[in-house]
Parts: sequence; structure tokens; C-alpha cells
Amino acid sequence: MGTNDMPPVKLKGVGDGFWITVDPQAPEETIEEQLTLLFQRLRHLAINARITLDMGGATGCDELVTRLTAFLKETFQVGVVTLPPEKRSIPVERTRQRDLSRGWKHHRSDVLMLRGRVRSGQKIESRKHIVIMGNVNPGAEILAGGHVIVLGQLRGRVHAGISEDETATVVALEFRPTHVQIGGVAAAGLDSAGNGKAEIAVVEKGRIVVQSYLESNLFDALPWPEVM
Amino acid sequence: MEGRIIVVTSGKGGVGKTTATASIGAALALEGKRVAVIDMDIGLRNLDVVLGLENRIVFNIVDVVNGKCKLRQAAIRDRRIENLFLIPASQSDNKDILTPAGVERVGRLLKKEFDYVLMDSPAGIERGFENSIASADEAVVICTPDVSSVRDADRVIGLLYARSITPKLVVNRIVPEMVAKGDMLSHEDVIDVLSVPLVGLVPMDQQVVISSNVGLPLVMQNDSTAGQAFRRIARRLNGESDLPIQVPSHKKGMWGMLTRKFGKK
Ligand SMILES: Nc1ncnc2c1ncn2[C@@H]1O[C@H](COP(=O)(O)OP(=O)(O)O)[C@@H](O)[C@H]1O
Ligand SMILES: [Mg+2]
Repeated sequence: MGTNDMPPVKLKGVGDGFWITVDPQAPEETIEEQLTLLFQRLRHLAINARITLDMGGATGCDELVTRLTAFLKETFQVGVVTLPPEKRSIPVERTRQRDLSRGWKHHRSDVLMLRGRVRSGQKIESRKHIVIMGNVNPGAEILAGGHVIVLGQLRGRVHAGISEDETATVVALEFRPTHVQIGGVAAAGLDSAGNGKAEIAVVEKGRIVVQSYLESNLFDALPWPEVM
Repeated sequence: MEGRIIVVTSGKGGVGKTTATASIGAALALEGKRVAVIDMDIGLRNLDVVLGLENRIVFNIVDVVNGKCKLRQAAIRDRRIENLFLIPASQSDNKDILTPAGVERVGRLLKKEFDYVLMDSPAGIERGFENSIASADEAVVICTPDVSSVRDADRVIGLLYARSITPKLVVNRIVPEMVAKGDMLSHEDVIDVLSVPLVGLVPMDQQVVISSNVGLPLVMQNDSTAGQAFRRIARRLNGESDLPIQVPSHKKGMWGMLTRKFGKK
């Protein structure tokens, strides 16, 4: 969350351009207002200026960056807008080196992995993630502390992220649950019989959204495989 | 050789357990086997009516389990079909009068006397169900092509697997016209969910109601499509496992042959 004593936008001159630090948690209108104030003061200096947009190292704000870039170019005719050069982080390097050498090998799984059909009246409950190679029938129930992956038809009830974890996801090759809950957010199943594509359900803005797993690209932004 | 005890069950009521028990039992007897059909629906007996034997009841299965009479005294012999015997339910008791242990004990005696013992189970998954599966080696699950019946059958199949019984499936009351129009689940839809071996598909047939009202075994009516389907089911249970399964068709007198391999879509 943005703190009150930190302005959502800061600007300083660097070499041949300007370095703008943005708090991505601030409302987008506020950010644009502040940018307008600052750039109006710069007048013609802004034209064709080289801008570095620093989101404070926050991830997952690509869309905001795209919109702010367009905004600056259209409104103030700035030149190239770039992100700050990535700094090497020693702790990150250390964990990745550990992953390479032995971290994954010695990782104890937090996954309950099952195969076979889950039938009506059966309830599978785990504090961990659940992976099922098989179909989950109507009337069956899957309850996971973490994520749920069904490599088959999901047609029963599913609750992922039981202890209020709304970052949990539900993936199924055929997503047709009668009821879905992720953390505290619940939804009735969709009527559609699925389109033959794998789908993923996530919580977005307090609602459960289902989308094609391959088209969602949800995890492509993660540059390094990480343990869930 | 010891006989086989097969429980006929479904979870849901009114799907055709009693009809199937009577018909498969009669058909196995017509195949020359010594068969007992046992009404485990204590308090709601009707297998005797369907077989037209209600007037000859003296003792019942509760009497046998509780030692009030001998097995042979309770078994009513059918006069039309040789080797077919009925042990009726009691009409006045409730299901808790029997225990799984008691039924199991009688089951061991039954296996010595008969080639096939068919247990007609009550609806539900409580005590009455537990009693009827107590001595069973095998199970036939009856399901109709509707969502609630499939759901209940699925539940029962799970409970049977939990007892290490792999059930076989009969889909009953199929109306081919409705399936063709998409107004009724097809047997493929049913098998898609239940995924257990299929032993037969039985069409909706008016003769079922007629024959149970007059107490004449369905399988003796040659013009009954359901009766023919049950006879084929009996032959399959009796070892002719390669007898092809016929799909009820709405083209009169026609049976479509089932060629697709089940479980693959
Ligand atoms: N294939 C069929 N075609 C027409 N009616 C049927 C068929 N199978 C069962 N029925 C009818 O459905 C009703 C319920 O059948 P029943 O065998 O008593 O079910 P359950 O024992 O499962 O309660 C009965 O009236 C029976 O005559
Ligand atoms: Mg009945």
C-alpha cells in the first residue's frame, strides 16, 4: 500500500534525461495527475527527453508501464521511455545457485498427488496442494490448502486455498465444477461444458475468473521456476 | 463348486432393482442354474409381487437370519420356472432387525445351496444397503439415464469399491427416441461418469409394468424388449462375456450393435 509520506511520483534529472520513480500501488489517476504537474513545469525540456520509469522494483505492473509510457509520449512528447537497468541481487543469485546445485533435489513435496476417478460422495482433503490424474465426478469434493490441479474432468466441488489463500489457483483439463471456491471467494459452476481446453481459475479483484490456461500466460512472467 | 452372491443395488429408488433382480434371476434359472432371489428391502417387500409369489409366503429372510426357520422352509419354489426360488422380505420389521454379520452367516449357507443368489437391495446407503452387500461377492448397479440416478449410482459404486467389489453396470429405462433428440442422457454419457464395466442396456418397455402386475416373469414374455435385454444380461453374468451389448434403437425391431470400446472417447 502507498504510504502517505511518500509521494506517488518523484522526478529527478539524470544525465541526458529524467528518472521517474512511481509507486505502482497508487491510483492511476493520481499518478497521471502528479506526472502532469511535474512535466508542465519542465515545459519544452520534456520534449524528446529520455525517460526512465522506475516502478520501485515491483513486478507484475507491465500494463501500467505500457499505459504510462503512452500517456507521457502523447501528452508531453517525451522520447524513449525505458525501465531502469536490472540490478543484480545477491540474495536472489544465492537462492538460484542453490536451486541449481541441490535445492530442488532435496525439496520435500507439498503435493498430494493421486490418480484415478474421484466419485460422488468422496471427499479429498489436504493441507497441501492436490494433483489428480483422473476425473472428478459430480458430487465429489476436493479441498486443498493450496492449489488444485486436475488432469482430467473437474465436475465436482472444489475449494483451493482453504485457509483464506486467494492466490491459490484451480487448473483442470476440463473445467466444469458445480462449485468453486478460492480462499474466501466462492462461485457457482459455469454451465458451459468447457471448450476442450485446459482452464485456470484465479481470484481477480475479488471475483473468480476462469480463463484458458495456455492463453492466460499467468506464469510466463516468472523468469525462474519457483517452488509453490 | 460354491455359488455366487450378487447384490443388485442403485442408491436411488425406483430405478429397476427389483425388476432386474426378478428378471435376471428368472433368466439364470431358465439357463439351467439353481437360483435364489432374496428380497432385502425389509419392510417394503415387493419382489414377491413382481414374481407373482405373494400368496405363498410363510417365512421370510428375517426368520432365516434369526434362526426361526430353516433356509429351505423360507425358500419358495417357483412353479413356472424350475430351479428359481424366492426368499421374501418381512413386511412388518424395519431394516435394523438384520445385521451384516447375520446376513453374512446366511450367505455362506446360501452359497452351498444355489449357483446364484441375487440380493435385491433397498434404496439408500444405510443399514439396509450394508446388510444386502454383507455377503455379496459381486454387484450389479442399476442406473437410469438421468442425472440424479447417475449421481447416486456413482456414490454406491464408490462404496462398493471401498469393499473391494468391482460392480457391473446396467442402464435401465432407456427411451431411444428421447436419447436421439438429446432429451435423455445417452448410455455413453452415463458410462463416461461411472466408468465401470457395462453388462447391459435395457429399454423402457410397457411389458415391465404389465408383467409385474400380473406376476408373470418378464423374461418369459417373448415380445418384451426389456425381457430380452435381461436375458442377455443373465447370459453375460453367466460367463458369456463376449456376447455383444445391444443398444436399444427407436427404429422398430432394430437393435444397434455397440461397437465402440467403452471408456475411450
Ligand atoms: N425397463 C423398464 N421399462 C418400464 N418400466 C420399468 C422398467 N424398469 C422398471 N420399471 C418400472 O419402474 C418402477 C420401479 O421399478 P423397481 O424395479 O420396483 O425399482 P426399484 O426396485 O429400484 O425401486 C416399477 O413400476 C417398474 O415396473
Ligand atoms: Mg425395489
